[in-house]
Amino acid sequence: MSTNQASAVRPLARASASRIGTRRQRTPWGAIALFLIPLLFFYVLFVVYPLIATIWNSFHTISYNMGQQVTTFVGLDNYAALFTDRIFHTSMINTIIWGVVGPIIEVVFATSLALLVYFKVPFYRFFRTAWFTPMLVSGVIVGLVFRWIFNNEWGLVNTALRGIGLDALAVNWLGRRDTPLWVVIFVHFWATFGFSFVLILAGLSSISNDLIEAARVDGAKLRQIITSIILPLLSPTLITVTILSFTGKMKAFNVVWVLTEGGPLHASETVATYVQKRAFAWRTLDLGYPSAIAVFWFGVVLVGVILLRYFLNRGSYQREGGA
Amino acid sequence: MYPSMTPNFTDRPVSGFWLRLTRLSQNAIVLLLLLAITLLIIIPFIWMVIMSFRTTGEILSNPYGLPTSLNFDNYAELLFSPRIAFYRYFYNSVVVTVGSLFLTLAVSTLAGYAFGRSRYRFRFRTAVFSSLLLAMMLPPQIQYLPQFQMMTEYGLLNTHLSLILLYTASALPVSTYLMATFFAELPDELEDAAYIDGCGDLKTFYRVMLPLARPAVSTVLLVNFLNFWNELLLAVTMITRPEMRTLPAAMMLFVGENSSDYAMASASLVVAMLPVLIIYLALSDRFIEGLTAGALKG
Repeated sequence: MSTNQASAVRPLARASASRIGTRRQRTPWGAIALFLIPLLFFYVLFVVYPLIATIWNSFHTISYNMGQQVTTFVGLDNYAALFTDRIFHTSMINTIIWGVVGPIIEVVFATSLALLVYFKVPFYRFFRTAWFTPMLVSGVIVGLVFRWIFNNEWGLVNTALRGIGLDALAVNWLGRRDTPLWVVIFVHFWATFGFSFVLILAGLSSISNDLIEAARVDGAKLRQIITSIILPLLSPTLITVTILSFTGKMKAFNVVWVLTEGGPLHASETVATYVQKRAFAWRTLDLGYPSAIAVFWFGVVLVGVILLRYFLNRGSYQREGGA
Repeated sequence: MYPSMTPNFTDRPVSGFWLRLTRLSQNAIVLLLLLAITLLIIIPFIWMVIMSFRTTGEILSNPYGLPTSLNFDNYAELLFSPRIAFYRYFYNSVVVTVGSLFLTLAVSTLAGYAFGRSRYRFRFRTAVFSSLLLAMMLPPQIQYLPQFQMMTEYGLLNTHLSLILLYTASALPVSTYLMATFFAELPDELEDAAYIDGCGDLKTFYRVMLPLARPAVSTVLLVNFLNFWNELLLAVTMITRPEMRTLPAAMMLFVGENSSDYAMASASLVVAMLPVLIIYLALSDRFIEGLTAGALKG
């Protein structure tokens, strides 16, 4: 994260540096206040305050007595309860499986296809536009359409499977306990892979042609060029895409909620859907416990992102050093 | 003019070596594979459109038939039937989206201007800006429960305003970032000239600098339009009264309640998707650039 933020701030720093020495004037506080107060209003009220309030709530139990909200301090009880909550464990395991499998298939597919499309001149814009389309469609629409596609009796998948004689594979995809999570993973992959593809394609097009030419002059084969030049140079992009894909899966809500609502029997429950259920769908009215889930899970994801960035960065340096 | 947040795709290699590589991968198998993938991605949409022109009876007897005639009955009923009141949800979505876009643009251009221009640098400006960027990392789950409590407390539940405020807040970090990086690259001369001509800070901003920032403005509009139009989590949390629902929330419930009326459901999905698809087909490159620029900041 730190490297990206540094690069994000750089243009501002550069702009300020160019002015130093040319003119030194008093800071126009009035104008700064005028420009920034609307932003700070939103930021403090709807971002900072809710963040603190979620942490605060996570140490409390909130209940209602005769329409009055009663908040009781319970210390770490909500967090302790996480350890015995089996549904939370299921949702956590499901989300972790998704967080591991999802980014891997997405990055592998997107990279291979980007390489194919990049080296292939015709229809290149067509593929880019077409594959990106699912990104634009609401998760609700995606979820509903795929509910039909995976319908047991007449869904597209089962009709196709029966059509080619694989009746045994035509299972009730969304009704069993072992398949719904994989359907969710697949559908989310379907919806977001175009995005990773476009990012990787952008990364590919920024690799200097001279390097590849030089390698070719030295007699490198296509495979060597890809593994020793293109992939190492592409690794910053691949790291970004992996992390974006990972965090996207960690907070995904729409597709799961519409496709399965976490069911059946929590078979495809994720942390995001479980927070929503504990907070609203189950009508427990206690926002304390779901807050504890959210805070705990945010910590886990943060650690995950930091570890992911650390190991991916290390891996990519080693590869460059070895090449 | 437009800062190159995404590399340009037109300078692709065409040397002899590349032509050879090209020939290598240009064979029919690869092309067929790519077309098959495209088909897999497009099929759900096509199927949806086909179903929307048929009747539920036809769909149940044969899910994969083609429409017998170009039948707009589903769309007519969907759009005008008071029982479904689709226009109501469409209207809600338009109000919320337009309201949020307007507010996001107003706040993020102002703030982006102050963060981007050297004239307004102050101590800790970079720190304030970085803390704003950090907010982009926060998942909605860590904020939306207190947001719900706030809206309850101020009597804003079930209002368009609650969604407009929250959508704006969620969009501001990325939008401000995009505006700030754009403003930072505009030359100083025009700004200085405006001051010499006697324009104040605000007048310089909206008369001179804002018109120059049109590309960034359109990026901010496109990216956020998509997010606002498709948002579900806050929409189902802050809105519980049926007539105030936005399209995604309404569709989810509509299809849930009429789960066997496939023809009508498909028509509703097509209509909900249409505004986004039309804009995408017209501005696909802008869309792709905008979304990737918004994401790559990390």
